[in-house]
Amino acid sequence: MTMSPPTTAVAARAVHASKIYGAGDTEVRALDDVDVDFEKGAYTAIMGPSGSGKSTLLHCIAGLDTLTSGQIYLGDIELSSLNEKHLTQIRRDRIGFVFQSYNLIPTLTAIENITLPAALAGRDTDKQWLDHVVTIVGLRDRLKHRPSELSGGQQQRVAVARALASRPEIVFADEPTGNLDSRASGEVLSFMKQVVQEIGQTIVMVTHDPIAAAYASRVVFLADGKVIDELRNPQPDTILDKMRLLGAE
Amino acid sequence: MFKVTWKGLIAHKLRFVLTGIAVILGVAFISGTFVFTATIQQTFDDLIANIYKGTDAQVRGPEAFKQDRGGPGATPRPPIPASVEKIVARAPGVEAAQGNVQIEYAQLVDKKGKAIGNPGQGAPALGFGWNPVKQLTQFNLVAGGHPPRNPDEIVIDKGSADKGHFHVGDTGKVLTGLPPKNYKIVGIARFGTADNLAGASVVLFEMAQAQRIAGLPAKFDYIGIVGKPGLSQDEVAANVRKTLQQDGLGALEVVTGKKLIDENQSQIGKALGFLNTGLLVFAFVALIVGAFIIYNTFSIVVAQRTREMALLRAIGASTRQVLGSIIGESLVIGVIASAMGVFGGIALAIALRWVMSLLGIDLPGSGAVVPAKAVIWGMLVGIVVTLLSSIVPARNAARVPPVAALRDVAIERPIRRGVRLGIGGGLGVLGVIALLSGLFGGAGIWFVIVGAVLIFVGVFVLGPLYARFVSSVLGVPIARVKGVTGTLARENAGRNPKRTSVTAAALMIGVALVGFITVFATSAKQSFLGTIDAQISSDYVINSGGSFGGTGLSPRLDREIAKLPVVEASTPVRVGPAQVNKAVDLIAAVDPVPAQKIFALKSVGGKLADLTPDGIAISKKSADKHHWKIGSTIPAKFAKTGNTSLRVEMIYDEKQIVLPGANLISLQGYEKHYSQQLDALIFAKLKPGVSPEEGRKAIEPLLKGYPTAKLQDNAQYKADQVKNLNQLLGLIYGLLIFAVIIAFIGIANTLALSIHERTREIGLLRAVGESRRQVRSMIRWESVIISLLGTLLGLAIGLFFGWVVVVALHDQGITTFDPGIATQVAIVIFAGLSGVVAAIFPARRAAKLDVLRAISTE
Repeated sequence: MTMSPPTTAVAARAVHASKIYGAGDTEVRALDDVDVDFEKGAYTAIMGPSGSGKSTLLHCIAGLDTLTSGQIYLGDIELSSLNEKHLTQIRRDRIGFVFQSYNLIPTLTAIENITLPAALAGRDTDKQWLDHVVTIVGLRDRLKHRPSELSGGQQQRVAVARALASRPEIVFADEPTGNLDSRASGEVLSFMKQVVQEIGQTIVMVTHDPIAAAYASRVVFLADGKVIDELRNPQPDTILDKMRLLGAE
Repeated sequence: MFKVTWKGLIAHKLRFVLTGIAVILGVAFISGTFVFTATIQQTFDDLIANIYKGTDAQVRGPEAFKQDRGGPGATPRPPIPASVEKIVARAPGVEAAQGNVQIEYAQLVDKKGKAIGNPGQGAPALGFGWNPVKQLTQFNLVAGGHPPRNPDEIVIDKGSADKGHFHVGDTGKVLTGLPPKNYKIVGIARFGTADNLAGASVVLFEMAQAQRIAGLPAKFDYIGIVGKPGLSQDEVAANVRKTLQQDGLGALEVVTGKKLIDENQSQIGKALGFLNTGLLVFAFVALIVGAFIIYNTFSIVVAQRTREMALLRAIGASTRQVLGSIIGESLVIGVIASAMGVFGGIALAIALRWVMSLLGIDLPGSGAVVPAKAVIWGMLVGIVVTLLSSIVPARNAARVPPVAALRDVAIERPIRRGVRLGIGGGLGVLGVIALLSGLFGGAGIWFVIVGAVLIFVGVFVLGPLYARFVSSVLGVPIARVKGVTGTLARENAGRNPKRTSVTAAALMIGVALVGFITVFATSAKQSFLGTIDAQISSDYVINSGGSFGGTGLSPRLDREIAKLPVVEASTPVRVGPAQVNKAVDLIAAVDPVPAQKIFALKSVGGKLADLTPDGIAISKKSADKHHWKIGSTIPAKFAKTGNTSLRVEMIYDEKQIVLPGANLISLQGYEKHYSQQLDALIFAKLKPGVSPEEGRKAIEPLLKGYPTAKLQDNAQYKADQVKNLNQLLGLIYGLLIFAVIIAFIGIANTLALSIHERTREIGLLRAVGESRRQVRSMIRWESVIISLLGTLLGLAIGLFFGWVVVVALHDQGITTFDPGIATQVAIVIFAGLSGVVAAIFPARRAAKLDVLRAISTE
């Protein structure tokens, strides 16, 4: 295998990553020998039609799911060699998550949700950093509220804040705006972009929405479990063009 | 998709299994009770029928008074002169007549000097005269022996012979009311084909010796009659009756063999009836707790299936159909679980007999008798309880609007605070009023029971109002120690107050009863111990081994102890049934002069030392009630002597006394009115300056010949006295544990269902870094919080019940209130630990949740 040495530092990398469900006739290749790098400090979007394997890829890089074959590197750690306990630690200490919905624990307040990973690790949160995160999230007056008292957009912003609070090496977002209206979506997406620009946070986001993807600095296209293309500094219409092109293939 | 369906089925199966277990345990308890009592009844019925198989009729004294103790031989009757035997034998149609006596205590001692069997606990050690009339006895000699021919010879039962390794020709010591005596064993007998008489050990003496031991020289307790062939039992009895009347002995009763069998069987039946009712009460409690579990499970399941129900409704199912489907489910569970419960009950009854035999309570017979009642009641109650518990949840399910299918989450109906506060508070207040008027207003026991039930219902209805608050208070220390895991546990316990409070309420009931019994028993115990301390100034007690019954010591021992130079005073205590002023109770007899030195009873007239053979000491309470004074005469009746009167010679002012019953007579009076003289206890007081050690050294050698006698100092005696109470307490705890176990199954069930509901949430927690261990810890602490909620509520109610009952019984001698703090603390710890245990299974399931599946579940 020939892999060009990364020009910039790599936050996460998939090498010959394959994920196969079932066997024989019912075999489904969710990931088919995927090689992809995610640069540090970059905002990368993964796009593709449903069933393209984009979520599977995200889950595998994030240590939520395991590959059938191949390797995932998170920084210099190879995930497939780790047991469940270590994976949990990695998720807790080095990764931030934002899901499509159900991101917050309903019984905890916003601030408790934000500090949850640190609390689970039994660590104190870096007060200054937390303060900084809260400031950019812009929900200082709602911190004592429970999720049910927040709007959808606010909830997702709390989720992003939670993902950032433990200063993870990388934040994974799985359709973070999938359940939001366009205004709230914009609010969350520009916030994420701001985070990348201001603090150099690495974010990998799965989405099927070209407008959302356009907030990223790079878009990776997946289809049938394979990386088929990518775009740098995308615009919504270039993404749409590309998708149309891919769809036509 | 198949996998999802399959997983769903498993999940359903599991929750139904857990629900089912609640029903199974309750029903098993009910059926087991019926099987157990029916089996014992059958055993004794067979035994009794066997004993009187060859008896056509029996002559006996008239019943002196009714005694509620139950059991055969409990009816007090005067003895019959031995001469009657000859008269009866001459009556027309009589083939043979033979009198006999029953010796209440004839304890065989084995070669190592140990008493055989354990008459203080289980089957008695009885003695009879050897009955030469074959038809009148089921004892038949094993080859190689002969009947006792002189006062020094005995026949023993084969069971005792085997236990004591006795053979024909050996010498064996027998303890009776007479001084201990060595007898020559001239025969070993079986009872029918069994080795012994229902577990009792029996010594058969030569008749004159038996009469001497029974304190009935030239007298019989009864005369058995065998009729001539061809005559019915009634004809034989009629003939005998006529002959007796002609001889002026019409006062004697003549009964047929069949009547004897009926009487004895129904006496056993009555005693077992009490046992049956007592056990059923506990079974009922267990089922009530089970009903909570079923109700809760169905409520949660229905809430979780709101969308399913709504979908059904949307596609055209009627409310009736939805209702029917839920009720149908509960019916299936009810039928299957009840059937399993019935089988479980049979197994339980068999196991119980086995456990009892391990504890030394031997019950004869083999095989379980399963009466129709066991099946019918078990099935009926199990199914009805299951159905009733599912009605409310089913109605809620049927009310789900079709539009709910479009909504996202399971919606529980909101708590209507005002309504709950009104109903729950009202019922609670009503309950307290009923309880108090029952206890203090003389409104009766039913008010007490209804009041208690209303309080439970009130607290239950109020549950959702305080469940969140109390669980968050309980969770404070947990959150502090366990950090965010503890906070999550605490929040989870409080997030659905209805569910948490129903789950906790199930536990509350069992714990409240445990708490109440603890308070009551501890207070009673402390009061009694206080009474012993206050009333006894002796240094040693020689205990015959049983607590006033089944055993005894020869009066000779007391005389020997009294003669010891180190002993200042000693008195035996003898106990027997008597009717004093129409009330039947135990009466205790003491030696007046030494008793005065030993028992410190506050007197408001007379002295214990002055009791004459015709005197009686009574309590101030009964003296006040009946306006008796010193010198008043009270009508009394004894089995041996019939109607008589006793003179009030001492009135004491104590709430209770250390001796059984409330009335005391003198030893001489006892000797006059009772045939057999057996000392239940001997109290010995040492001379001033004699050390307890010296006293013990002097008394101990005298006890050598009495293997059942235990020399106890006051501390040991007190421990011995509360032993029985502790055993009873242990038994009640054991019976209540059923309800408590069911409640903990309920907690496990609720947790499992809640976890199912929170799959996504747990997935999220896992995704953001919660370890499996932390998931387990979170569930565990939630369980502990719910357990403690139920336990503390239960204890609060139990303490309240205990306190009012103790206050109400102050006049009955329960003068000390002691909540038994140590036990209560132990209960709380036990509950906490059980909470941990209950959480094991749900926590493991939660920890095993596949993170990915959890977060991608729609």
